[in-house]
Amino acid sequence: MTHVIRAQLIRLLRRKTMVLAAVGATAFAVMAATTVFSSAKHGGAGLGGRAVTLETLAGKGGGTLAFATAASFIGFFIFVTFIALMASEFSGGTFRALLLRDPRRLRVLVGQVVGILIVIAGIAAVAELLTFALSFLMAASRGVPTSAWLSSGGAGDAIKNYATVLAGVGGWAVLGTTLAVIFRSAPLALGIGFVWAGPFEHLVANAWTTGNQWFPGLVLQSLIAGGTNELALGRALVMGLVYVGVAATATLALVATRDVTA
Amino acid sequence: MVAMTTTALSVRGLTKRYGSRVVVDHLTLEVPAGVVAGFVGPNGAGKTTTMAMLLGLVRPTSGAGTVLGHPLDHPARFLPDVGALIESPAFYPALSGIKNLRMLATVGDHDVDRIPALLELVGLADRGNDPFRSYSLGMKQRLGIAAALLGDPRLLILDEPSNGLDPQGMREMRELIAKVAADGRTVLVSSHVLSELEQVCDWLIMIDSGAVLFAGAVADFAADSDAALTIATTRPADLPKLRQVFADAGHLVELGDDRLVARMHPGDLDAVAADLNRAAFDAGIVLTELSPKHTTLQDRYLSLVDGSTR
Repeated sequence: MTHVIRAQLIRLLRRKTMVLAAVGATAFAVMAATTVFSSAKHGGAGLGGRAVTLETLAGKGGGTLAFATAASFIGFFIFVTFIALMASEFSGGTFRALLLRDPRRLRVLVGQVVGILIVIAGIAAVAELLTFALSFLMAASRGVPTSAWLSSGGAGDAIKNYATVLAGVGGWAVLGTTLAVIFRSAPLALGIGFVWAGPFEHLVANAWTTGNQWFPGLVLQSLIAGGTNELALGRALVMGLVYVGVAATATLALVATRDVTA
Repeated sequence: MVAMTTTALSVRGLTKRYGSRVVVDHLTLEVPAGVVAGFVGPNGAGKTTTMAMLLGLVRPTSGAGTVLGHPLDHPARFLPDVGALIESPAFYPALSGIKNLRMLATVGDHDVDRIPALLELVGLADRGNDPFRSYSLGMKQRLGIAAALLGDPRLLILDEPSNGLDPQGMREMRELIAKVAADGRTVLVSSHVLSELEQVCDWLIMIDSGAVLFAGAVADFAADSDAALTIATTRPADLPKLRQVFADAGHLVELGDDRLVARMHPGDLDAVAADLNRAAFDAGIVLTELSPKHTTLQDRYLSLVDGSTR
């Protein structure tokens, strides 16, 4: 599988892609730090239904709280990115071309997904570091003390935030890949994924709040945020694993058994 | 392990059904090692599906076979020795030709140092750093062949590599196929136009509606072809009389509107022409035309296809 991962890195680690990633990570960090810090109030509720207050920002995990909070909103972006990337692998015939070099289908598919996730993990790490640095500036402007951020507990929270973001991103990646494999057409898979994870889940959850605890997209959103008022981190992790397990099993079964005709 | 065999490809009863539609119908054929085999059939004849089954992309409904001595259902055993271009060349549009080849070489664990020589071979040495999306169709096909050659394969499977190319591009593709076959590798190349392939192939497999019409050496196919003589006189009214004269001389000819047509084995052409000319002269009829016409392989192929669809 390492061969496939290395091949994906050849494809993705290009100057243009890296410049775009750097711009995206910087824009994310600026947006996350400014939005989270400027919207935080004393004891009030913050973004995504999670308590992001000036007091929580002053805690040991405050330095990366903006990263985790804002990252919960990029899951959907990761989802559609994976749909587009993986569906075009099937419709464009590049998956077929890779199978002619290595016919072990599951290895090729998993290697492709892992390769993209490695790049995303790198971009996320840069985004977290940038958000952390910008949070210092924002903290000063809002009078938030930052001494706890640099403690060992702060480092632990930063790692935990990074891990939950990656776990959620991985979940979105698997769900996106599943839709891509099922439909093998980027427009169709994107349309269905967009409608489901966009308006459908959110509209239904607005009318039926229990949906926040059950819909896969909202579960992963809660996971990336490190847990929400509606869904605790532990339960989000377990449910996310169940959804990802089912989706991954269906995807691998389809890829293993279906003819490659495109 | 490399299996040494004198048969590069062998399939027996290979069948592919999609629902009630039979795409490949009990296909049985062999391709000897070291030949350039033309795989010819009309569009929709089942060529691409057959090739996809040979490459492990499509699972046969029934039937079995071997590729380079390994069972068809274990593509991991033979694909390292097989290069293929199937359907259209599939590459990442934003990547350069070189980076696309590097990607594929990495996946297949092939030597990336071969890439410059392969680009040179296919005539893309000066365009290797350009993005794939900027390539013409002919260049894309040639990059596809370079990709197929990455692992220095013993067997090359090319699916309609000339499709969509202009006459110049087709000629270049034929030259390229001849060049890559010169190393002694087996090449299976498909087309729906026999004339595209007859100059480079020494083995032919013709299929239609998923079934084999002919499989064998080109020489055998050509030997089965016939030739014809077209005969005209100064007075078309003499044609029935002339036809009888030829019949008396032991030659059956067909009467057309203003011509007679005599069919024969190509090897008998000169002798029959002399015989007919002499018979006409003896009967006092002056011939204005006695012209030979060889049936081309394409004519014979088309007549086979027509026969199979009747």
